[in-house]
Amino acid sequence: MINVTGLTKTFGKNQVLKGITTTVEKGEVVALIGPSGSGKSTFLRCLNMLETPTTGTITIDGIAITDPKTDIARVRQRIGMVFQHFHLFPHMTVLDNITFAPIEVKGLKPEAARVKARELLARVGLSDKADSYPSRLSGGQKQRVAIARSLAMEPDIMLFDEPTSALDPEMVKEVLNVIRSLADSGMTMLIVTHEMKFAREAADTIYFLDDGKLVERTKPEQFFTSPQSERAARFLEQVL
Amino acid sequence: MTRKKLNTLFVALVAFLLLFLMTGPAGQASAAQAEPKKKLVMGTSPDYPPYESVDAKNNGEIVGMDIDIAKYITSQLGYELEIASMDFNGLIAALQTGRVDFVMSAMSATDERRQNVDFSDYYYAARNTIVSKKSAPFETLESLSGKLVGTQLGSTQDLFAETIEGAQLKKLNKIPDLIQELNSGRIDAAIVEDAVAVEMTNANPDLAMNFLPADLEENGYAIAFPKQSELVASFNGVLSDMKEEGKLDEISRKWFPEPEKPADKLLGINIDFSVLKGYIPYILKGVYVTLLFTLVSALFGLVWGTVLSLFKISGIKPLEWFATAYTSVFRGTPLLVQLTLIYYATPQLTGYDIPALMAAGLAFGLNSAAYLSETIRGGIMAVDKGQREAAIALGVPYRKMMVRIIFPQALRNILPALVNECVALLKESSLVSVIGVADLMRRADVVRSNEFRALEALLFIAAIYYVLVLILTTFARMLERRLRRSD
Repeated sequence: MINVTGLTKTFGKNQVLKGITTTVEKGEVVALIGPSGSGKSTFLRCLNMLETPTTGTITIDGIAITDPKTDIARVRQRIGMVFQHFHLFPHMTVLDNITFAPIEVKGLKPEAARVKARELLARVGLSDKADSYPSRLSGGQKQRVAIARSLAMEPDIMLFDEPTSALDPEMVKEVLNVIRSLADSGMTMLIVTHEMKFAREAADTIYFLDDGKLVERTKPEQFFTSPQSERAARFLEQVL
Repeated sequence: MTRKKLNTLFVALVAFLLLFLMTGPAGQASAAQAEPKKKLVMGTSPDYPPYESVDAKNNGEIVGMDIDIAKYITSQLGYELEIASMDFNGLIAALQTGRVDFVMSAMSATDERRQNVDFSDYYYAARNTIVSKKSAPFETLESLSGKLVGTQLGSTQDLFAETIEGAQLKKLNKIPDLIQELNSGRIDAAIVEDAVAVEMTNANPDLAMNFLPADLEENGYAIAFPKQSELVASFNGVLSDMKEEGKLDEISRKWFPEPEKPADKLLGINIDFSVLKGYIPYILKGVYVTLLFTLVSALFGLVWGTVLSLFKISGIKPLEWFATAYTSVFRGTPLLVQLTLIYYATPQLTGYDIPALMAAGLAFGLNSAAYLSETIRGGIMAVDKGQREAAIALGVPYRKMMVRIIFPQALRNILPALVNECVALLKESSLVSVIGVADLMRRADVVRSNEFRALEALLFIAAIYYVLVLILTTFARMLERRLRRSD
């Protein structure tokens, strides 16, 4: 479903991605793991062109999104993204946050969009917050709304950029549960995370990145029990 | 030359606007019913009481000594009189192009003018007059030696005062300014025309006047006609009859009354708000003009300022340069200069005779946009960059993102600055009176020059401005609270 070939990204003199090649299958759940500064987030952000790759190609269902002629806005509608800091629209209610893009981008009828939004809010357990403003929500609630907002566009792929890093510890679980149930539903997902337990349980594949390179690409069991590279072993030693 | 050039232009424009704003052209009412009677059109610049002025208290009709004389002469000759109000500087041209049949506008018969028009006999001669405090009067030119003497800039008396030996001159723009300077003792005396002096002393009982001998050659007023006009002889005939019968004196006595008895004064403060009686509706109409003008220029400034701010963050070099240069120029030059330039240069450069109100709205909008573009740019930059990324990730197109996601948040950031700008615009709008827009300030000036009182009208409009600003800030606070409901 996603094909990445020879992807590099350079900020000024700093090469953050040093040639990444990989394939993500439909329905695959990928957890991206690695030390900070290894390029995980940059890699994720390249997948919906929030960062423009310096070299290399990315195709999604055969569409080369790195091709300047591609209508990237259309492709982005199919790729949901959840950010570390939620980025809910503060001047809109929860319901309006969720219905905004379906109505304004997809042209959905407001009534239909609202019905769909309420379904999604029920799914993330926030039915009672539809008319609240984001400032009234806890971090965990905000992140669940953000997930609902992305899902409202009915994406084929979901990208999570450290979705629990900005949360108080007691709120991590409620968000991970939502993501896990999404993974179980067969969504293609890439998740940048520091939650090793979650990665081990929920992911089909672990990508271990270090210094801009995709060092390991293995099953969770294998990665966490017998990492192949010395760098991965050292990393696991530090975090576990 | 009896008059100040620039001021006349401004005042004439006001008078013109007044006619339109308040009553519609006064002269046309009589024109409509003139079927069999022959009609004469008289040009005048109604900004010079008591010769001719707009009667702001009563429907804005044009009244004055010249008007009474003209009415008498034309009725004697069997004509219907129509009055065309125009800028003093345009009167000669109006005669030459046949738009008017004759001109009476306290016009001196100078040699320069005689080359272009014919004049009747003199019907009145203005006298130069010394006005000073009653407590320290000056009666002769000699006594002014070594004194500080005020004059109105560009007036005949201003030129005349140059010849007073030993006197030091202080030239002011307006008659009310002279009064104020006299009252506060900053000048010892003022030299003005007799008609003006009568009004000054009437309105200010503390002031005394002393007429200097009349000089027909210098200050004689006459009726102007197109060259070779057959009317000159018949007008002169009626004029000499009027002089003999005392009709002319009768009319001039009506318009140049003896000084009234001094009014009682309280605590020596020379402020009497009763002079505003009758002018209140006239001044209050200026609120509408001021508000309309502020609204138009604020909206224009906001829209254009937004466009400029988008230029600045567009990342397209030529647009960025343009917006930066624009801001630099409009912030770096005085608003008054921009206003005057736009008003006077537009007709010369484009041939389009830009109305004063439009020129003013344009100047203020353009200027305000320069300031607002910086404010808005700052407001946009202050919106979390994650908002933009979230919108992009959802596939929201740029325009929709800016309008629906970024601007509402930027607006909240900059609302206090926007309110400040509106308050500033509201107050600075008083500058537009310079090009004759009939706003609050202009109307106060009209009342000041009609009543020859310096302070009352100013205090009154200051209070109005203050109330308007209070209303505006209250409204803004409500809006801010509404925008903050999401916090």
